[in-house]
Amino acid sequence: MSHTYTVKAAPEAQAAGAVALVVASLPESFGPAAEAKADVVVVSGQPGWTIEAATAIDEGARGIVVVNPAPENTDSLAAVAERSNTAVVLDQRWASNPAMPAAEDAVRTLAGRAAMLDSVATAPAGTSAGEVLADHLAAVVRVTGPLDRLRVLHRGPQGYTATAVLANGAPVALQGILSDARPAALQLSMLVDDGGVSLTLPEPSAAWPARVKVTGPHGELLLPTLYESAHRATWRRLKEHLDAGTVPSDLRRFAELTESVSTLT
Amino acid sequence: MSSHTDATRPLGVGILGAGPVTQAIHLPSLARLGDLLTVRHIMDVDPSVAGSVAARVGATHSTSVEALLSDPAVEIVAICSPHQFHAEQVIAACRAGKKAVLCEKPFAMNAGEAARISAVSAETGVPIIVGAMHTFDPGWLAAQDNWGDLPETTHTIRSSIVLPPNARFEDFATEIITRPAGGTPDYSDPEVIKGALRGGIMGLAIHDLPLIRRFTPDFKDIEVLEARHVRPFGYVISLRTPTRAIELRAAMNNTWKPEWSFEAVSDAAALRIDFTPSYVQAGSATATLTEGTKTTVLGPFDHNGYEGEWRELAALATGAKQPPTAQTLIDDLTFALDIADATVASLETQHAVAEGIRA
Repeated sequence: MSHTYTVKAAPEAQAAGAVALVVASLPESFGPAAEAKADVVVVSGQPGWTIEAATAIDEGARGIVVVNPAPENTDSLAAVAERSNTAVVLDQRWASNPAMPAAEDAVRTLAGRAAMLDSVATAPAGTSAGEVLADHLAAVVRVTGPLDRLRVLHRGPQGYTATAVLANGAPVALQGILSDARPAALQLSMLVDDGGVSLTLPEPSAAWPARVKVTGPHGELLLPTLYESAHRATWRRLKEHLDAGTVPSDLRRFAELTESVSTLT
Repeated sequence: MSSHTDATRPLGVGILGAGPVTQAIHLPSLARLGDLLTVRHIMDVDPSVAGSVAARVGATHSTSVEALLSDPAVEIVAICSPHQFHAEQVIAACRAGKKAVLCEKPFAMNAGEAARISAVSAETGVPIIVGAMHTFDPGWLAAQDNWGDLPETTHTIRSSIVLPPNARFEDFATEIITRPAGGTPDYSDPEVIKGALRGGIMGLAIHDLPLIRRFTPDFKDIEVLEARHVRPFGYVISLRTPTRAIELRAAMNNTWKPEWSFEAVSDAAALRIDFTPSYVQAGSATATLTEGTKTTVLGPFDHNGYEGEWRELAALATGAKQPPTAQTLIDDLTFALDIADATVASLETQHAVAEGIRA
């Protein structure tokens, strides 16, 4: 029988990461901490989160979950986590969706033949465009790898338009739309000469499945739907790392993303 | 102009240009409207094409515009010739005293031509419509009846077009007897890219630019943020006005899966219209209006915008409906031309910057 890890979350992280619901849905793996010290500490990803996470590691946490991390330098935190063999996982609204590994495979298999990649992120009116763009980029870069010549063409209270190119030179167009008209979601479509990949990622507030479709000359394939939120998928990954004693690649990936975001005008 | 027409007699149609659009779009659409319209005359510069296409519908054929316009059996003229002939032929059709004119888009190549057409239409009273088929699609028209203040409150507009080569759908619609020869462009030549993008706007984006303009009150202040070519044929163009973000996407490739959508989004409401591919008689677009968790779906209806165009022409010819104002047609055209010109200018700037960096 595997170990049950105790969990402690700051109130803002508790709400943003739906921590109580996730822990309740993984009752053999995680449980609320009865005392101040916990195996896993949940940190809100507001600016300064790397310091908060490093402090939690210093205080003995074996695992850290960061909910919606804002772009910031993670070098110091990565060093602390590496030294103490602490698993730091990032719970990102779209990039942490459990469909991402399959989406990544599908996109990267075809990326060399890409003609265009178009992606639209929709978030509620009033959301910070910068915050949505960071979440948007995290998901796109997760499936495509680094983007070249990334820049923002326009940013305002109702959204943004950003541009980049894939490694083969194909245009990448990223648009953010801030509106209450539709459910928040991320859509991505990469076209190749005879088909492509389309991806729709829901918000993590419920276990709506992402839709990953691969279109080719012989038809269209809907990859298996996974009725699990990005939050729960993050925690399952954490459990695997804790059991195995391994360090996830989340911080390394996030450093690449932060570098991309920092170059944006 | 309007005149009394025997309600039991279909109106005679003459078509200038018998290429794939006439063969695969207009003749099948007219075949569905036999009680309203009948093809009387087909003109094409290639006599064998004119004769062959005319024979399909039992019409007269000729190789000259004058012969068709002087044919008294022709009451409505459809202009489906190459773009550069449109203005001259629209004017000639008006002067010939026809009851209505359909001109394939674009109806002119510059604002001067558009103004001349407008003046002749006003002088002769002959109604003109431009073949922007999506504006006649029952899905679009149903959305129009239900979208409330969305055209005024929209802040984001998207037009997305993914299509296989035309031949795929032409072959589902008819048996084509001629096709224009295709070439292999040299995409390393900036002039080729400029030409491809201008052609993309005036030949493909133009289908939906009247829709976009309907949602863009400040359309005269359009600015191109970036324009990029998509190989082998397509574009990614980011536009802005002071109040709107407008994104145009298109890719024509070898996929079997078409997508043709128009979206307009405000803070509180959104419209998405999914159009059926051109050429096939696959019914109308479906319009989806959303306001948070409330979704209203309109359509699909049983005919597409091309058939809608012909129904409109019949109504105009009999005086049952009034034509759009000439200003609407001129504004639609100048909007397209402004985007095409600004796109080419943007490419020239990008090219100059790239050359500067290399130097």
